[in-house]
Amino acid sequence: MTKKNPQPAKPAKTSNSARLAKLVIQRRTLALLLLFGVASFLALFARAYDLTIRQHDQLQDDASIQQTRSTVISASRGSILDRNGVTLAVSASADTVFLDPNAISKYADELDKKRAQKLVDGLKDGEKLPMSGQEYKDLLAARLSEILDIEPRKVYDEMAKTNWRYAVLSRRVEKEVSDQVREFITDNDTGANLQGVHLEADSKRYYPRSSLASHAIGFLDGDNHGAYGLEALYEEELEGSTGLTVTATDGSGSEIMFQYEQYYDAEDGHSIVTTIDSTIQYYLERGIADMTSQFGAKNGACGIVLDPKTCAILAICSTPDYDLNAPREIYTQKLKDQLASADEENPPEEGREHSDAYRTLLGELQNLQWRNKAVNDGYEPGSTFKTLTLAMAIEEGVANRNSSYYCGGSVTIENEPISCSNKNGHGSQVLREAVGHSCNPAFIRMGLDIGRSTFYDYLEEFGLMAPTGVDLQGEGASVFTSRKEFESHDIDLACYAFGQNFIVTPIQLIAAQAACINGGYLYQPYVVEKELDAEGNVVRQHDSTPIRQVVSEETSALVRECLEYVVSDGGGKNGQVAGYRIGGKTGTADKRGGEETDVIVSFLAFAPADDPQVIMLLTMDTPARQNVTGVFTSGGNYVAPTASRIMADILPYLGIAPQYDEDMLATAEGSVPYVVGMSRDEAVARLESYGFSSYRTVGGGETVTDQTPDGGAIVPTGAEIILYMGEEKSGEQRAVPNVVGMSADEANRALVNAGFIMKATGSSSSGAKVINQSLASGVEAAAGTVVTVQMGTMSNIAD
Amino acid sequence: MAQKKIHPVKTRNGIPLTREEYRQLKKQKEREDRRKRQEAWEAARGPLDLPFLLLALLLLGVGLIMLLSASFPSAQSNARLGNDALYYFKRQVIFAGLGLFAMFWVSKINYERFRGLARLALIVSFVLLILVVIPGPNKYGRLLALGENGAARWLGIPSTSLTFQPSEVAKMGLIVYFAESISKKREKMKTFREGFLPHVTILLAMFVLTLIEPHFSGALLIFGIGAAMLVVGGIHWGWVAAGSGAVGVAAYLLFFTEIIDKIFHFLNYNATRLQVWRDPFGGDLAFRRDDAWQTIQSLYAIGSGGLLGVGLGKSRQKFGYLPESQNDYIFAIVMEELGLVGGTLIMMLFSLLIIRGFWLAIHARDRFGSLLIVGVTTQIALQTFLNIAVVTNFMPSTGISLPFFSSGGTALAIQLVEIGIVLSVSRQIPAPKAR
Repeated sequence: MTKKNPQPAKPAKTSNSARLAKLVIQRRTLALLLLFGVASFLALFARAYDLTIRQHDQLQDDASIQQTRSTVISASRGSILDRNGVTLAVSASADTVFLDPNAISKYADELDKKRAQKLVDGLKDGEKLPMSGQEYKDLLAARLSEILDIEPRKVYDEMAKTNWRYAVLSRRVEKEVSDQVREFITDNDTGANLQGVHLEADSKRYYPRSSLASHAIGFLDGDNHGAYGLEALYEEELEGSTGLTVTATDGSGSEIMFQYEQYYDAEDGHSIVTTIDSTIQYYLERGIADMTSQFGAKNGACGIVLDPKTCAILAICSTPDYDLNAPREIYTQKLKDQLASADEENPPEEGREHSDAYRTLLGELQNLQWRNKAVNDGYEPGSTFKTLTLAMAIEEGVANRNSSYYCGGSVTIENEPISCSNKNGHGSQVLREAVGHSCNPAFIRMGLDIGRSTFYDYLEEFGLMAPTGVDLQGEGASVFTSRKEFESHDIDLACYAFGQNFIVTPIQLIAAQAACINGGYLYQPYVVEKELDAEGNVVRQHDSTPIRQVVSEETSALVRECLEYVVSDGGGKNGQVAGYRIGGKTGTADKRGGEETDVIVSFLAFAPADDPQVIMLLTMDTPARQNVTGVFTSGGNYVAPTASRIMADILPYLGIAPQYDEDMLATAEGSVPYVVGMSRDEAVARLESYGFSSYRTVGGGETVTDQTPDGGAIVPTGAEIILYMGEEKSGEQRAVPNVVGMSADEANRALVNAGFIMKATGSSSSGAKVINQSLASGVEAAAGTVVTVQMGTMSNIAD
Repeated sequence: MAQKKIHPVKTRNGIPLTREEYRQLKKQKEREDRRKRQEAWEAARGPLDLPFLLLALLLLGVGLIMLLSASFPSAQSNARLGNDALYYFKRQVIFAGLGLFAMFWVSKINYERFRGLARLALIVSFVLLILVVIPGPNKYGRLLALGENGAARWLGIPSTSLTFQPSEVAKMGLIVYFAESISKKREKMKTFREGFLPHVTILLAMFVLTLIEPHFSGALLIFGIGAAMLVVGGIHWGWVAAGSGAVGVAAYLLFFTEIIDKIFHFLNYNATRLQVWRDPFGGDLAFRRDDAWQTIQSLYAIGSGGLLGVGLGKSRQKFGYLPESQNDYIFAIVMEELGLVGGTLIMMLFSLLIIRGFWLAIHARDRFGSLLIVGVTTQIALQTFLNIAVVTNFMPSTGISLPFFSSGGTALAIQLVEIGIVLSVSRQIPAPKAR
């Protein structure tokens, strides 16, 4: 009993060894207590602190990513509209076709297994052997490459990524293509739905006017975010916010019902209404394209059309341009040829599509065609800048209508001789004549009269020292000498006075020029007029308050008067438009940095001269020289005729009616009335009531069966109308004669004799000659076709 | 007066006793025996150590609540468990009830009685440890062993919850045997022949048997408990130093080289375990998805908890992200729901329990009692430390459950029985002398 039940109550033996042994136990237990009870927990606490506090954010973020599933509710991107509501950019839904290479590979293995099994089991009557995995892949490659118009090799390459679940074959395909893919998925030779071929809803951006205003509008990147232009600058407004449903999910991806769920509504992007007028933009682009091809501009050209009263950009253009729908493809033929030759010169390596040189050049050319010279690049403006010098001089009271300037052909400033465009000198001239002559010594005189410090102040006042802040991408900066340097001597002032030795961007310059002619108010140029939400409510409207008034109304009026003189009687005669009062200034400036012969010719035009509704600045970078074109290289010769033509298009479009005086009546135009079906007398009366007095009849019928020109055509009222009385209209094709170099009368005679109707545009000055004709000499055209001839004077005086 | 009747058999000092006398004598003897038993019983009936008991009950209560929170998603989504969200909780509650009953029962036993059980306990432990590793034809390649998660560490009735790990029993056997043996050896513990050799032999034998189950964590615990008891028991400092050195080298090899992992590769140990420990977020997708998944999910859970946690019951990681969230990784869910503050409070409860345990060991009435407590407390301390260290990726993963928290009925019951042993020892701590 005692053995089984020892007496615990006995006092512990107090032998020495027992006491010692107990002491050892106690001491060492204390050590364990400290180790296990304290030290180890301190270590664990430190670790827990590190994870929960220091790494908290990172770990929580990562955990949230896996714990939640967000379903994106896509927002549709806003449109870009022109000022009349014409769509310039719009998004539409499109499908992206992608493969699930992992599923394809698994399915192919499955097919192989089934096939092997069938081969072992044997086939029943009429049963077909299932297709092999490889056959399945071949089928996909063959059909998909055909539908999507891609290389079969690409399909194989994507299918080879067997670890992937998402391999895009073709992004944003048109609906008809995606429908074909859908049909292929459900209806194919496998007898079942295809495995591993999927479509996903996506959206595609369309630019209905392709290259129109391409530099302003810009394009999207592969993820449908703005990459360039307004698309990029207004990305936030256009994109909208994608909605999100955030759902808590468990490890298998199914939703945890009683955990939180959050919704964020999708908000469609806002549309932006631009100030661009697609019609004016079209006229500007057409004019510039003709000009560059006519004069073979080496580095393209650019143009800006503003409303001078707000600096709203009505049109802005730069060449070379590109197709917004395919921004990465080289658009203009000249550049395409250049690119193609890169591969010819450096044959690509075996198995590669293009050489390295090709790819490098492609990148350069892409940048070139995306570049908006009107905003990105600065240049030395030359004589168009004289507008500003003129305004300053008048405003400062150092020049007035009656100021007289003497020009002896050159002037010496601080031992630097500066010659005038006319080496023989303009002699004595009043203010407007000096402007009309674009006389350098006169403007140097004005500059010196204004004074260094005041002149520099004006440069700042006109906003030339800082970017305008226009909402276009990549605005370039101007380059001026420092105030200290400028004020230390006269030579800079002298050069600045006629627009050399500094660099401004065309947009800066035209904004300042607009201030000179609009009553003196400097505005910030802009492209986006307003922002509309998805319901069409105006969310934001551009505020057109001027930045400041730089010169007075009176000064501005005198500047307009002088500039009108430039076009009516000075070096800008080629800028004339019949029936309109045009103001303008020519410009030719040496270009720094390039070859010595590089030159930028430009023309500033605004109309009507007494109340400007539109102002335009055109520049062309290094046209072919005189020895090629036979025309003296100057803004007046090279650019003004185009400006005239564009103005002739724009002004009637803007609803500004032409005012013909007696001299001009000859060139007045009218709309030919419909007279078919009328009797001869009725027809003649009708024609007369429309201002057409000259006619002839062909045939002897009672009624007019046909007419040339057709009803509605706008032709000079002096043109002869042919009325066909029962006779067939002759479909005869005639060769257009060469009329370039003739006077208006001579040209009219030549064309009428050849059976055409002449319509003259451009300069109406007495010495004007035809400088361009709309149908080239030798072209076959039907009799009665209207041939537009551009009148102009080719002076050998630089501007 | 009735005639005296002489009992035919019973005599006293050769004098035959009457039946009456005999009865009286027997009664007297029985009274005496009862008194003696009573005395012995009374001696073992000091008050239970209230702080230790309360800490243990508090941990058990918190542990049950946290188990309910951590286990219901996995229980609910487990069709094998009948999609019963309360499956683990109910089981745990039942075992906790049984365990508490056993705990109080054991705490009432005079622990000196366990001395007599020591040898038997050791033998039973070895028998069970051997039974579980006997090769045989079942699907784990063993004769009797049952498995879970690919390791055959269990014995019991297949397909029921009536299973247990021989290593759990072995731990108790080891504690009781070592306590008894060491307490008898006294200063002889310093010697090699009597102190070091026999104990280390037994310890290594158990260690190796557990290791080849394979049950690395069990082996580690057994080794740790045994080593702690030997150190406390008074083996020579030289051995302590040598042993520490050996453990240090082993730890280095284990943590910083792959030698040991490679050696045990045949036991299905994952060679990438160390890579997971060093940089769970490194490696390729497959690595993060397969090998490092559990560690990453554990860190996500703890990290998301932050200072105050996402709130009791609101863990997201328990929804199928963190495997074994009701078991070895329950503390990650605790930290996610209760944050650093809650986690630290619970760690403090453990710390206090352990400190109180060792304090009781220091004050125990005799060496046997001290050593019993040291064994039990070391086991709780090691398990707690290793579990939380693994969960926080402070150490490579081993697979050690958290006492009072992790799901596992028999383990919980055994832990409570061990608490009962400590309480039993605490009863006999002499009251401090009045000053």
